[in-house]
Amino acid sequence: MSGASERILRIRSAIAIAAMLAAWEIVGRFELIANGAFPAPTAILSGLWADSDLYWRHISASVRSASLGFVIGNVIAVLMAVLFVQFPATERLMSGINITLFAMPLIAVVPVLVLAFDGSTPQVVLAAVAVYYPTMSSMLLGLRNVDDRLVDAIRGFGGGSLAILRRVRLRAALPALTIGLRTAAPAAVLGSLLAEFGSGSRWGLGTFLLGSLGAGDPARLWGIGLVATGIAGVGYGVFALVAKVTTRQVASETLATSPVPASGSREEHPVTRFLYALASLIVALGAWQLLLAVIDLNPILTRSPVGVVRFLFTEDGSGEARARLVTALGETLPAVFWGLAAGLVAAFVFAVVLTLLPSVGRSVLPFALISQTMPLVAFTPLIALVFGRGAWTTIVVTISVTFFPSFVTIAQGLAMTPRRAVDVVQIYGGSKLTVLRLVSVPSAVPYLLAAARLAAPRALLGVMVAEWLATGRGLGNLLNESRGRLDFGMIWSVAAVSVVVAIALYRVFVAIDQMVMKRYLGG
Amino acid sequence: MEYTDRRTFLKTIAMGGVGAFLMAACGDSSSSSPTASSASSGSTSSAAEMRQLAFQAAWINDAEFIGYFIGIDNGYYSDEGLEIDYLSGGPDVIPESSLLSGRAPIALTTPDTTIKAISEDGAKLKIIGTQFQKNPIGVVSLVESGINSPQDLVGKTLAVPPVNTLSVEAMFRLNDIDPADVNIVPYQFDPTPLIKREIDASLDFTVNVPFSIREAGEEATSFLLYDYGFTTYNDTVVVTEEALNERRDDLVKFLRASRRGWNENFQDLDKYPAMFGSTWFSGTGRSVANETFYNNAAKDLIDHPNGVYTMTEEDIAANLEALASIGINGDRDMFDTTLLEEI
Repeated sequence: MSGASERILRIRSAIAIAAMLAAWEIVGRFELIANGAFPAPTAILSGLWADSDLYWRHISASVRSASLGFVIGNVIAVLMAVLFVQFPATERLMSGINITLFAMPLIAVVPVLVLAFDGSTPQVVLAAVAVYYPTMSSMLLGLRNVDDRLVDAIRGFGGGSLAILRRVRLRAALPALTIGLRTAAPAAVLGSLLAEFGSGSRWGLGTFLLGSLGAGDPARLWGIGLVATGIAGVGYGVFALVAKVTTRQVASETLATSPVPASGSREEHPVTRFLYALASLIVALGAWQLLLAVIDLNPILTRSPVGVVRFLFTEDGSGEARARLVTALGETLPAVFWGLAAGLVAAFVFAVVLTLLPSVGRSVLPFALISQTMPLVAFTPLIALVFGRGAWTTIVVTISVTFFPSFVTIAQGLAMTPRRAVDVVQIYGGSKLTVLRLVSVPSAVPYLLAAARLAAPRALLGVMVAEWLATGRGLGNLLNESRGRLDFGMIWSVAAVSVVVAIALYRVFVAIDQMVMKRYLGG
Repeated sequence: MEYTDRRTFLKTIAMGGVGAFLMAACGDSSSSSPTASSASSGSTSSAAEMRQLAFQAAWINDAEFIGYFIGIDNGYYSDEGLEIDYLSGGPDVIPESSLLSGRAPIALTTPDTTIKAISEDGAKLKIIGTQFQKNPIGVVSLVESGINSPQDLVGKTLAVPPVNTLSVEAMFRLNDIDPADVNIVPYQFDPTPLIKREIDASLDFTVNVPFSIREAGEEATSFLLYDYGFTTYNDTVVVTEEALNERRDDLVKFLRASRRGWNENFQDLDKYPAMFGSTWFSGTGRSVANETFYNNAAKDLIDHPNGVYTMTEEDIAANLEALASIGINGDRDMFDTTLLEEI
């Protein structure tokens, strides 16, 4: 793109953003939406100004635990990625734990963390958990994607795998790592805020939100939401800058969130594969058991894997417990499905619009970026203010968490439309729309599926947070209710079941993906 | 706290040693509530004499716990030789779990969960006093809707937090009302639906939410579940049996100093909410006016002619009866009133 048209695009984007802000101001001033649930930007700003002392203390507490968790989680993630690339078998053994950390709804872990740790440790641990997967997967991809010729050269000079790691892989992984860190930064903020909200720690934006919820002051809720988004956005921006320096490949945009396919050759014997899968399951359950031994709590508070199975199947009252869990699942799963579908459709439509009308796409992009970085827990109450406490809120929350990663993935697919296929259509006089219909959309389908795979676990998290904070239904509510009823068996069961559901959702889309790909490639 | 070292050590191992130094740095400043330690550091000259006592509250700082803040700031606990490690609560904090995990030997709980933990899970806990003689939970509505008793709810929509559904249904049965005649919907502790008249009434803390409703320009009325047969305490003071055996003296001292704090508060209900606005209540997202309202409304539910925390035999029996009606079966042995006699 030439410098002049780039400048025109920028001006247009600025005008569009200014227009949106002006419209928001008018809507807020005259309380046009939901009786003033949408306060004017100036009202939010004056609230921020009035409470600025408080905000600083809350911000510094949140930033402190988020950064501590960010550092710890990333150090572990980098070390694990190195371990996996040096000893590929370890990755396959750890795959059960990795996929759990990828898919696990953070909200389900908070009650368990608060049981095990005190002070600000739950915030730090949750932030660390939230950053582990994006960083580990990016780093691993970076370590693997190396120039074979360099590897051969080192081997030729008698270097072993350590020399290859040091001289080739670590250097090659740097750009991918920074992209992983970019995704991890907002995740750390979300982790910290969620745990603050649950543990009611003295300072932190999550706590501020908790205390402000019942006060009926929409401007305050918006202030907290925007500040939290700002912090997450700064984290994202800093590492985006670093990433720009370390890499010039725009194509690696989605590296950070793409699950890494497990290593291991395709021709492997099915029995070996099965044994590896079994071993990774055992390792994951063993880690659970080990964690219980390490935190060493009164057995009334904890449940081992066997304990959860007993609670749901053999103990007294297991029938009733199962029934409650199944009812909750029956409320949660349809919401996940519809929210996910809506988020994917929105992302697909938006990606298509972007290819046809780049200037429109550009002006909306900042808002899409906000939806990516905004901490879920801070925005759900705002969405509830505007959309009420029913199914709409759940759907909107779910769209907001699934939209952006899906959009990035799909847009990338559309951008990689083979040039020659486009030329063929255009030679025969096809319009832009015909190109879209015959070439772009079909070639974006695999990316749509990849997006679904990534977004499904996020959709579950979105639905559970909405259920907890707004609608009072489903798994999110059952978790909250079990806490209130001191039902430790149910707390652990909901946590375990939600992880299993998230992994199952992910697996379903992986399977569909493989089926479709086989058709594409085999047909 | 003798177990702390071991737990900290194990947690460090849990982090794989990678972030060990970071964990240590983080554990440092989080181990105690900053305000509590700074407030009590005024008298650190005799710190060697002070015995640490961790106290788990039930929610984030608000007027519900003002008696303890007064006790800490006015030195009532240090007069007894105690240094309070005040732990605030939150949605995911289960006070009983702080007791069972050894984080605190004394906590404020709801009697239903504590008795359930003792009777069903075999938790070794004892109730040694109660902050609220009458549970402040009740049915809140706008004055215009004329809901002043359970009978008035027939045919109306009542929002109930899922945790309290059983208690509300028990209250209806005690008043010969079929729960099916009331439209019960889930409630999330937000007065907005009531103000917007999406619901007719909600179950909430009667000492708190009417303030938010008034701020929104409406006038609220309420009645307590307690006054219609669901006779339970709230913020029961619960200790571990271990603490009862080994630190009985400290527990009595805690009750004495805390009662002193509450009595001081009752002298002038407007004084301390304003005074704590920039310390204990700072940054909680709630206004001083809100805390003042709460403090005034809560006094009659807390105070007792025999002194704050009193548990009479009749009231204990009434609690057990009410809880039995929702399937929670406790007995007199779960209460220990002898510490109150020593205050």
